[in-house]
Amino acid sequence: MKTDDLISMLAQDAAPPAAAPVGQRAVAGLAAGFAVAVVLYALTLGPRPLLAEHLRDPLVLAKTVLPLALSGLALMLGLRAVRPGVAAGGAGRAIWAVPAVLAGLVVWALVTTPQGEMWRDWVGHSIPVCLPAITLLSMPLLAGLLAALRRGAPTRPALAGMLAGLASAGLATALYSTFCTEDSPLFYATWYTLGILIAASVGALAGARVLRW
Amino acid sequence: MTDRNARWSDLLRRGMRGDGAAYAAFLSEITPVIRGIVRARTGGAEDGEDVVQEVLLAVHSKRHTWREEEPVTPWLYAIARYKAADAGRRRGRQGPQVPIDDLAEVLPEETGETTAARDLGRLLDRIDGRAARIVRAVGVEGRSSGEVAAEMDMSEGAVRVAYHRALLRLKDLAGAED
Repeated sequence: MKTDDLISMLAQDAAPPAAAPVGQRAVAGLAAGFAVAVVLYALTLGPRPLLAEHLRDPLVLAKTVLPLALSGLALMLGLRAVRPGVAAGGAGRAIWAVPAVLAGLVVWALVTTPQGEMWRDWVGHSIPVCLPAITLLSMPLLAGLLAALRRGAPTRPALAGMLAGLASAGLATALYSTFCTEDSPLFYATWYTLGILIAASVGALAGARVLRW
Repeated sequence: MTDRNARWSDLLRRGMRGDGAAYAAFLSEITPVIRGIVRARTGGAEDGEDVVQEVLLAVHSKRHTWREEEPVTPWLYAIARYKAADAGRRRGRQGPQVPIDDLAEVLPEETGETTAARDLGRLLDRIDGRAARIVRAVGVEGRSSGEVAAEMDMSEGAVRVAYHRALLRLKDLAGAED
């Protein structure tokens, strides 16, 4: 087929079919995945005793709020990453505030935790639950989000997939944090982060495949 | 540059609201620029025009990712670079491509009809099922795209685009096998 013929053929179909914007689909995909994650959470984990009281402690609140902030910023970046020629912008810098605040909390914990308790706080007692739970709770969210992002046009599919992984893992981790009783930043800065990075890697690998167009 | 941006933005904006003539003008005006980008990125390969068409199809199928308030050229060039790089990678994997022009030419000329049908069947097995169905209906059975569209619950334009895209893909596969 000649290029001119292709152009006339495409021109007969000028207006794109009416469809929900990628952003709306992404939110819907995340919400659907979150619903699945909540069911899994309710069946296997459930909230810790006296959750509301614990959340008054800023160090406990941080392990829920920081992943939520990460999720929101990663979602914004992910939605930009699926539009060709659009730079990351302010969110690309803002997202670094999350690890920066986390690093601050770790320093604070290093200063205030008695020497003898540091090791115990760091390894805690629930790594074998924490890591798989964060990774697995992320997966339904990641699936929903990736499905939505396929309608976009990421020129770097692995990067877009990684951002989708971060957005999903952030939400999943916030959910998990309401079950977890390990409240030292030494614990959650290490093991939550590791779980989130595992989910982000899955997102990058999946994105490189399913977000190509 | 700004003039061109403003003009293309205007044409594309009108096109996306259903003005076919403006959209055709937009696609015609961007084609030489895309050709330049593709040539620069693929080192002037023989199948350059196929890649140009792939970029046009990509622009078409992803036109909803452009926002009216944003300049059109960064968006357009990003798509062209992505598709040219993609074609380059594919060529690197598959060796040189054979330029072929239509469905009949996907098949080796010297083979008899039975072999041809079998070859086509094998190639069609390797593309996505929906696309294969469209190629069978439009290209083999010779049915109209409108008819196929109604049957598959797609717009006629979407069927034509899917058909063209499938042909490009089949060409790739046939080229890879030679």
